[in-house]
Amino acid sequence: MKLVRILESKFEEYRLNAIFDCYKWDPQFLDSNTLSKYVLVLTEKEYHEVAKLTEKLDSETEISEIFLNSHLDLTKILKLPKTPLLKNMSNYDKNKHIRLMRYDFHPTTDGNWVISEVNSDVPGGFAEASLLPELAIKTIGNKNYYSINFGDQLAMALSLKIKAKGTIMFVHCTSYSDDRQVMQYLGDKMQSLGYTSLYGAADHLKFVNKEAYSILDHHEGKIDCIFRFTPIEWLIDIKPKTWSGYFDTITPSCNHPIAIFAQTKRFPLIWPILEQNGIKLPTWKKLLPETIEVKQAKGKEGYIYKPAYGRVGENISIKEACSKEEYQEILKDVHKHPKKYLAQKRFISKPLTTPQGTKYHVCLGSYTIDGKHAGFYARISPKPRIDSDAEDIPVVIERSKSHE
Amino acid sequence: MNSKEIYRIWAPYSQRWVDWVRPVPFINIDHNLPHHEIIDYTIPHINYIKSIAEDTAIIIDTNSIQSIKEGIALALIGYRPIPIFNGTNPPSNTKGTTDNSLIEPLLIWGAYQLAKIKLKNDAPPVFLLDQNRLNRYKTDRSIFDNSWDIYPQDLPSAEYFLNKGITKIIVRGEKVNKDLRKILAKYQKNNLQIFFTNGYDSPEEIRLRK
Repeated sequence: MKLVRILESKFEEYRLNAIFDCYKWDPQFLDSNTLSKYVLVLTEKEYHEVAKLTEKLDSETEISEIFLNSHLDLTKILKLPKTPLLKNMSNYDKNKHIRLMRYDFHPTTDGNWVISEVNSDVPGGFAEASLLPELAIKTIGNKNYYSINFGDQLAMALSLKIKAKGTIMFVHCTSYSDDRQVMQYLGDKMQSLGYTSLYGAADHLKFVNKEAYSILDHHEGKIDCIFRFTPIEWLIDIKPKTWSGYFDTITPSCNHPIAIFAQTKRFPLIWPILEQNGIKLPTWKKLLPETIEVKQAKGKEGYIYKPAYGRVGENISIKEACSKEEYQEILKDVHKHPKKYLAQKRFISKPLTTPQGTKYHVCLGSYTIDGKHAGFYARISPKPRIDSDAEDIPVVIERSKSHE
Repeated sequence: MNSKEIYRIWAPYSQRWVDWVRPVPFINIDHNLPHHEIIDYTIPHINYIKSIAEDTAIIIDTNSIQSIKEGIALALIGYRPIPIFNGTNPPSNTKGTTDNSLIEPLLIWGAYQLAKIKLKNDAPPVFLLDQNRLNRYKTDRSIFDNSWDIYPQDLPSAEYFLNKGITKIIVRGEKVNKDLRKILAKYQKNNLQIFFTNGYDSPEEIRLRK
């Protein structure tokens, strides 16, 4: 894995093209450019290694969530959102829905990979994992690089489970343009394949006989697929409660709320129960640092706290990556709500060094769709915590010499 | 001009502050642009500031038409207008909570005006907001909520402003809106002076609570 610089003279045009041609509508965050000046180059060996591990993880996750869905009485330790509707998921049929996940890999100082989490419910970064690498290769002009177009694979998977020319509702938080950019990319892609793409909020759907219908002004009617980007734990907070149908719908969904079992970062705490029931998780156990309850970490060295439903690295207690104020606030909240957190053994991320000598920590997101590896999305940061200050970086693969 | 060309006039390469120009209203600017005869394109006279102050940034939080027009008026005295509109459009024919439809034609008009104005690389910024972003009242569930808020990450930090010699911020609007107030309170805590004007009176320093 290495970082290759986009020439300074080409960067501004690259940024402009990323904005307009690659749906990068959020190129600035506070004082930072969110688009890296580098490209992350994987060897084919690294690509195949991560892809294989990702598919193994995914297989273990899927078996676990299907088991937990039929044994809700065992899930107390996960502290799932309190809703009786989880019971309604008993009609879940994986063949009817599209299961999309992204596993976050990190290189470590001991030469191995670790994963920090799975984005089980609403992973994003679609255009960055599809169009941005193509733009980067064109900008760099290296014919030895190629990329995986994640969007092509997602569109194909959706097409297999939605009727031709069907209507897809892209459910998202409509006030956030950074959510819309993710939905718009996929929506435009599906539209180009003959589908109708609608953009709406979670409460723009109603459910009749377990089928989804749009109530969006001027776009009322039956929906053939729900593509949801509103996190399940936010959905449950929406009032009035118009969302119950999401849990037992037979309308193909990506993702179905079954994603909640692995979305909580407390998922590892239920592994002993899963193992007692014959479910093996060797890849998860190999790649995820030891995870325990907050109270078990008391007085132990080398653990960090993570919120069970944290996103983009928020509220993770890596001391040198937080301001003093933020760090104290996290500890205070952990103390107050220990069950909303977990403690995880800290791993030492191995940064990549650029030819100019700058060090960047890497989070390599690896997608699966219905169990198959489907592409990469990466972020880099000078800090070991990859959070909202991190930069998006396109991932490309370098052809091995044997192919030449 | 297409969307990229218009964006590049508002955000020319290698100029200070332009990285904060929000791309969202520019993205579809060359598609289905409605014709608006009702817009009065006269550049307004600015009463609340007579000449450029290198240590002062301005945030205009009025309706989008006035905001862009005042941005151009301030460009004529040396300020760099930075549009930070961030609302999306509803699907076709769907009623939205916020009308963003006039922003696009005004940005095109503004681009033609700006192309005639030579600004310094380090010209102080005037950030352009639309006060209608906060219209989120839905009379019916079928309406598309495309209201939006301004967040701290949408603007430079206090440290950045101070490093670039900006010590004062004038807010021009009918009032200091709730989302902006939170950001300004943080600025004030970090030693930036905050002033307010309704557009007619001279700016007066204000104290803010988060």
